[in-house]
Amino acid sequence: MIAGYILRRLAFLPLTLLLVAFATFIVLRLTGNPVDIFLDINRTPEQVEALTKRLHLDQPLPVQFLIFLGDLLHGDFGESLQFTGSAAVVVWERVGATLQLAGTALALAVVLGVLGGLICAVWRDRAADAVISSIAIAGQSMPSFWLGLLLIEFFALQLRWLPTSGYGDLKHLVLPAVTLATILLPNFVLITRTAILELMGEQFVVTGRSKGMSRPRVLVTHILPNAINPVLSFLGIQLGHLMAGSIITETIFAWPGVGRLLINSISHRDVPVVEAAVFFIATAIALANLLVDVLQMLIDPRIRRA
Amino acid sequence: MKRRPVLVSLLAPLLALGSPAIAADKILTVGAAVFPDSLRSGTSSFASLSLMTQTNDLLVARDNKGDLHPALALRWETIDPLTMRFHLRQGVKFSDGVEFTADDVAFTINRVLDPAVAYAQAARISQVEKAVAVDKYTVDVKTKAVFPTLVRGLSDIIMEPKHYYEKVGPEKVAAHPIGTGPFIFKEWVPGDHYTLTANKDYWGGAPKFDRLIIRTIPDGSTRIASLVTGESQIIEEVPIDLIDQVNSSGSAKVDSISTTVGLVLTFDPTIKPFDNPKVREAFDYAIDKPLILKQILKGQGALLDGQVLTKGALGWNPDLKARPFDPAKAKQMLQDAGFDFSTPVPITTQNGKYVSDTDICNAVAGMLNKIGVKATVNIVEGGVFQQMSNARKWGPMHMVGWYNLGDADFAAVWYTQAGLRTRWADPEYDKLFVAARSTNDTAEREKIYHQMMAILNQQNPSIFLFGLPSLYGVSKDVTGFGAAADKLLRLTEVQLK
Repeated sequence: MIAGYILRRLAFLPLTLLLVAFATFIVLRLTGNPVDIFLDINRTPEQVEALTKRLHLDQPLPVQFLIFLGDLLHGDFGESLQFTGSAAVVVWERVGATLQLAGTALALAVVLGVLGGLICAVWRDRAADAVISSIAIAGQSMPSFWLGLLLIEFFALQLRWLPTSGYGDLKHLVLPAVTLATILLPNFVLITRTAILELMGEQFVVTGRSKGMSRPRVLVTHILPNAINPVLSFLGIQLGHLMAGSIITETIFAWPGVGRLLINSISHRDVPVVEAAVFFIATAIALANLLVDVLQMLIDPRIRRA
Repeated sequence: MKRRPVLVSLLAPLLALGSPAIAADKILTVGAAVFPDSLRSGTSSFASLSLMTQTNDLLVARDNKGDLHPALALRWETIDPLTMRFHLRQGVKFSDGVEFTADDVAFTINRVLDPAVAYAQAARISQVEKAVAVDKYTVDVKTKAVFPTLVRGLSDIIMEPKHYYEKVGPEKVAAHPIGTGPFIFKEWVPGDHYTLTANKDYWGGAPKFDRLIIRTIPDGSTRIASLVTGESQIIEEVPIDLIDQVNSSGSAKVDSISTTVGLVLTFDPTIKPFDNPKVREAFDYAIDKPLILKQILKGQGALLDGQVLTKGALGWNPDLKARPFDPAKAKQMLQDAGFDFSTPVPITTQNGKYVSDTDICNAVAGMLNKIGVKATVNIVEGGVFQQMSNARKWGPMHMVGWYNLGDADFAAVWYTQAGLRTRWADPEYDKLFVAARSTNDTAEREKIYHQMMAILNQQNPSIFLFGLPSLYGVSKDVTGFGAAADKLLRLTEVQLK
């Protein structure tokens, strides 16, 4: 049943990626001839011709797209214009750093967010709820670049506990991961809180309590499993947000990830790298969304039946 | 209570992971603002050349002020008007032990000239026909025409090993460069850092520390934080509004020097009414340049003297001065010229390309507004600006910086028709430019450039604003480092406490 669902969803994946590839392709062509932007005014006609050929710009647009798709099927995005080597390899070298950062941030956001939401819901309208909810709302309204700089100021400059920036051991990961997590964390707190509060009034919870189950037991066996689903669907929606946030975070903390590479490549119009990076990000988000859906099905039999 | 040791023992390895390794090595870490994308030679950025010159020497090197000094070439002489002979330093070795000879020089120069290589600095030695090895330590550089800027042009071209290119090919060379320079390649992590070790046998004297790490830190505030905490000892490009933060930290100071970049606002005289030199001159009077220098550039850099050349460059005209700020006169001149004050005047600029570029444009627009001109600021992304420049369509005014590297030729060319960087055209100016390029007589060239600067001053194809500063943050633990006008890192004299 679930296997069938996964197969059906996987069958749609190429279509999603095709649309992404098409959109990237069109937008990059619409924002000007990459040859004009990449080569400066000292260019020779030979250089223009060579680059035009290399990017297949001498072909009609539909043909260009077909060539692009054909190369794509072989995992070939072409050679990077500004780096040495293939665009796919250039992007792949940065994937590890981004996954490390985004993964840690996501884990932090989910674990702390659900925990915070749980505390808020259980001690509703008490001091803990007020404090955590206020921090969550404050965090939600704080721009991440500002938070990043504040964290550097406090933990790196004042306390000297953590390095200001860079890629390396665990210490280097702390500040960027916290900054990135803060983009999502407040929402996880608020959504978990709402979900649990709604569930507390449900029939099955009241029944559980009247059977003589303790409050914590009802919470763990009945409420939490049901509260996970809204959190998961929110997580699926927020993955794009996470990638966007990682671009800013990577810049502030000099983190050598895909986000910073993407921005840099866009401004140089390194078309092959931009296409490869967008394609990687889109694939990652599509697969993660699939994973979220499958998890939801495993957890909630109602979705399986739907 | 019993659980605590378990927790501590679980956390201990994590914490240990983060503690810095204690090494006897003296390490210098530089925080770079702009980080090149590869170690391929011949890309057009100064950031790239700055990294390449750590491993590879030049025939003729510049110092921090821009003056030329013998490096791999000990001396050079003119054999005939079209031939310059270079006598090389003997006994210099590449880091793989192979001796550096005239063959390497001829190979490098001829490779730079090969259009298939697409070497960006080829334009610097565009008049060179070929280089020929005369004997093991002598090279003749033949030019197509008289070429007065040959030696200065060569100060941008790193010498590369012929034998290594022939053995592994250009891709492998870019992945692991070998040179005769003060440092030796160790590790390159794209988008993160470049690690080098000191070349103990360097002909110019071994560096005084063991390891060099150049890290990219794109954000200015983060860069300063890394300097103040001691993670880096030198940082590039201190943002001008954060100078005080460095100087008041107690652990570092800002070191600055004027670059040879002249920041200007160029008009498009094919757009009316900017075909009228009086209108352009009036705009010049309307801008309070000393105020912008003081308030926005915090006194760093210098006022241009009514010409594109920075003070001290060959050809800088000492008789010219910046026009004084006189808004009443500016307004009167515009009225006399029949200027239509309802004409929108967008000023096109990039954001972050030059120090405080957007802020300066905003101030200029504000000053023009004060005399009734409808000036606005149009900020465009780098790629878009490049496209505008290729088409030479920036709108009525745009901000640009021209560096001269100490010789008028390099900046003056952008006002010629052949230079393709301005719509302004003056046959007399073009004729003088060709004349200056056709003689090796420095005094004669200087005289011609003085005339050319006077024409620019009268005609105002641009409003000449400032010579831009180059600002470094330097830790108090560092001695022997100087801010460089050309933004190349020169680290052989640097010592760490």
